[in-house]
Amino acid sequence: MRIGSHVLKLEKRATLSGWKAALISILAIIFALALLSLVFLLAGVNPLIAYHEIFSYAFVNQFGLPLTINRSIFVLLCTYAFIIPYKAGLWNIGMTGQLYAGSLFVLGIVVAFGGKQFSNPTLSPVLLIPFMLIAAMLGGAILGAIAGFLKGKFNVNEIVVTMMLNFIALWLVSFMIKEGGIFMKSGGEGESFELPKSLIAPLIKGIPFTILIALGLAVLIYYLFARTKIGYQIKAYGLSPAAARYAGMSTAMIPVLVFILGGALAGLAGYHYFAAVPGLYKIPKNYTDFGDMAFYGIICGLIAQGNPFAAIPVALLFGGLSNGGRFVQGQLQMNFGVDYALLGVLMISLVAFQFFYRYRFSWVHVEKEKFDVVIPHK
Amino acid sequence: MVLKGIKRGEMVLEARGITKRFPGVVANDQINFEIKAGEIHAILGENGAGKTTLMNILFGLLQPDEGEIYIRGERVRFRSPLDAINMGIGMVHQHRKLVAAHSAIENIILGHPRAGNILNLKSAEQEVLALAERYGFKVDLKAKVWQLSEGEKQAVEILKALYRGAEVLILDEPTSALTPQETEKLLESIETMARDELAVVPFITHKLPIVLAISHRVTVLRRGKVVACMETAQTTEKDLAMQMVGREVIFRIERADVEKGKPVLQVENLSALNDKDFQALNGVSFSICEGEIFGIAGISGNGQQELVEVLAGLRNAQGGKVILDGKDITHASTLERWQRQIGYIPSDRIHVGSIGDFSLVENTALSHYYDDQFSRRGILNYDALRKLTEEVISEYGVAAPGPETKAKNLSGGNLQKLILARVLSRNPRLVIANLPCQGLDIGATEFVQNKLIEAKKEKAGVLLISEDLDEILSLSDWVAAIYEGKFMGILPAGEAQKENVGAMMAGLQLKGYEL
Repeated sequence: MRIGSHVLKLEKRATLSGWKAALISILAIIFALALLSLVFLLAGVNPLIAYHEIFSYAFVNQFGLPLTINRSIFVLLCTYAFIIPYKAGLWNIGMTGQLYAGSLFVLGIVVAFGGKQFSNPTLSPVLLIPFMLIAAMLGGAILGAIAGFLKGKFNVNEIVVTMMLNFIALWLVSFMIKEGGIFMKSGGEGESFELPKSLIAPLIKGIPFTILIALGLAVLIYYLFARTKIGYQIKAYGLSPAAARYAGMSTAMIPVLVFILGGALAGLAGYHYFAAVPGLYKIPKNYTDFGDMAFYGIICGLIAQGNPFAAIPVALLFGGLSNGGRFVQGQLQMNFGVDYALLGVLMISLVAFQFFYRYRFSWVHVEKEKFDVVIPHK
Repeated sequence: MVLKGIKRGEMVLEARGITKRFPGVVANDQINFEIKAGEIHAILGENGAGKTTLMNILFGLLQPDEGEIYIRGERVRFRSPLDAINMGIGMVHQHRKLVAAHSAIENIILGHPRAGNILNLKSAEQEVLALAERYGFKVDLKAKVWQLSEGEKQAVEILKALYRGAEVLILDEPTSALTPQETEKLLESIETMARDELAVVPFITHKLPIVLAISHRVTVLRRGKVVACMETAQTTEKDLAMQMVGREVIFRIERADVEKGKPVLQVENLSALNDKDFQALNGVSFSICEGEIFGIAGISGNGQQELVEVLAGLRNAQGGKVILDGKDITHASTLERWQRQIGYIPSDRIHVGSIGDFSLVENTALSHYYDDQFSRRGILNYDALRKLTEEVISEYGVAAPGPETKAKNLSGGNLQKLILARVLSRNPRLVIANLPCQGLDIGATEFVQNKLIEAKKEKAGVLLISEDLDEILSLSDWVAAIYEGKFMGILPAGEAQKENVGAMMAGLQLKGYEL
């Protein structure tokens, strides 16, 4: 573009500071909201009212806020599950399957200790809740390890493997909780049995204790990549497998390790939703809705650029908007999925704005060219 | 026969005041350049002097921010290489841009406007053959490109440019991958072209004798500026080097006489496959003692890469033995070899030897992260690593703003210094240096070579692999020539000459040196 003697030019950025990256993300959010307000206008709704409803329900309302927080913890854990393999240059698309596997392991532990009989008084939460957490991580880790092993040993594409394991885990859950399954609720109904009262996760002001795990993990993951030898090796492998191999690192083990860690955290997300969020305490009939939500972990991880601290506000935003969007749809009687539309536009906008992480516009002063001969193509 | 009525001495290409800026650097700063028909005008400069940028501008790959280009007095603007080709500019890239699965003639007519949709290979072949004969290129036009040697591929590229009617031929590092014999032939061809009123512009980094041998004029670039433009007849190698580097350069490397010690590395009958499962290394045996530099001369692709990868534990040996300090390490892991004090300087310093997005500290750690000194209970001691990196930067004169700079911001020479420093700071018993000076400028080359000699003085055994015969001959105590995965001979330094080693590199078995 040219105005007078100035030309608008696209330039490559040499560096990008943290706050500039944050600013670009905020601009992307504003842009997405502006774009979607056109959709609200077309639907005959005042966008200002719609956004007021969405944000006040998601982040202020006494009923909406806990829902937002519960969702955000879930999304945050899934984001971590994506980030760790991502640092090794690998894509974990299998958080859904891993969280299902983790949830099944949790129920398995409960069954093993005889907790399927309702309100068994002998079960000690002090002992069993840690067991359940470990089981959740183990389940997710095992499923993740399959993809990591195939990648490290045979260089099988991890995206395809994790994606397909999602389907296997999905139907495995169905097999286990529906008619005739080991985890079936007595009387069927396509749900799992409910956790005994004694095994209900402790709450902190109405929020499950898993919030502390989720926030604490940000510090641990940060430390893993900033300080430890294994984190260093993961980063090296992620940036250049050839260089990592040259430096004597095991290029077969690193994929296994990151998928074990990622899968374990996705397993925790399964524990969080199906065993710690108040009012659920089971794998419900519509469990795939929760499983699909795990995919937000991918986009949150990409937006956060693999930074676990940046993942916290991003996950909160996604948890809040999916919650508020669903609410406003009913409130204002709109006939389309506002939550999906909102998050879809937001994702595209955030990803598109990442262009500005690498480029920027600048005005360049140019002298007028005196004459020009452009060669015609022969 | 090629040109359309051009007279000798007529100005064909002129560039005035070319300026190109990239973020943080002025790659070309007010560059003036001209070439007449029948002239060979070399452009000389170290890496980072702005040669590539200028070349890309002349070929239409980049647009200059300022400045004008004239072809036969007419102002032109290239929007793409197609414009440049149509205006009679031909380019032969250093890294060949040919379709490997196609035959030579198919590559030559690829994209030619006269080729049309139905290929008439016969008539094209006759025209190309006539060109090849005139300029002394011997290429089987029906052979597939992947079967051709580097020299033949280059000939195909030149023929391609000529067949498209190039009047100005830009050659990027024309002799970098050629044997001495091939180089000689190419220079003859270039001279014939100049006699036919073609304008030839070779871009050269450090092979000053080539510049002196063929060019009529030479333009020297330094830090994006033209520092000299002179008649070649009125200059000397020393003078050119000084203009290029900006300071006096000593050419002779002091070969150090070191008393040789016990054997460090013994390789017995080693063989290996390449990535395509073809036999790449075919029964190689040699040994290196403390205080010796063992040089392997050969054109790339004759098994050198496979040899060093087997020695580094990055590729499985198909047969044979590798013995380090008396211990069989044929099946040891890479990490184990590093811990047994093997140091390896890979040829691909950008993708293998370093990680561009890592800081210099993290890059230094690539050779140290496993040392107890730098990691305890799984936690890396970044403070110690930073201190080491700072020492390395100052001791080796790595030009970098600081230890937290990303490696991708370093020039090739500085990156190589960092890799070298990182490897040598472990006091290795054996140093494997694969093409350590490839693509480096004179100053950095001198530095790297002296460091290898220092390692030799410290009683390390050094395995040096290079395509540059001069480098091998001036540094090595033993010279082996490798051809198709086999040594054609192993010569002590006193007997190794350019002629006999060069012949062995080309696959000749010389009497008296049979293995």
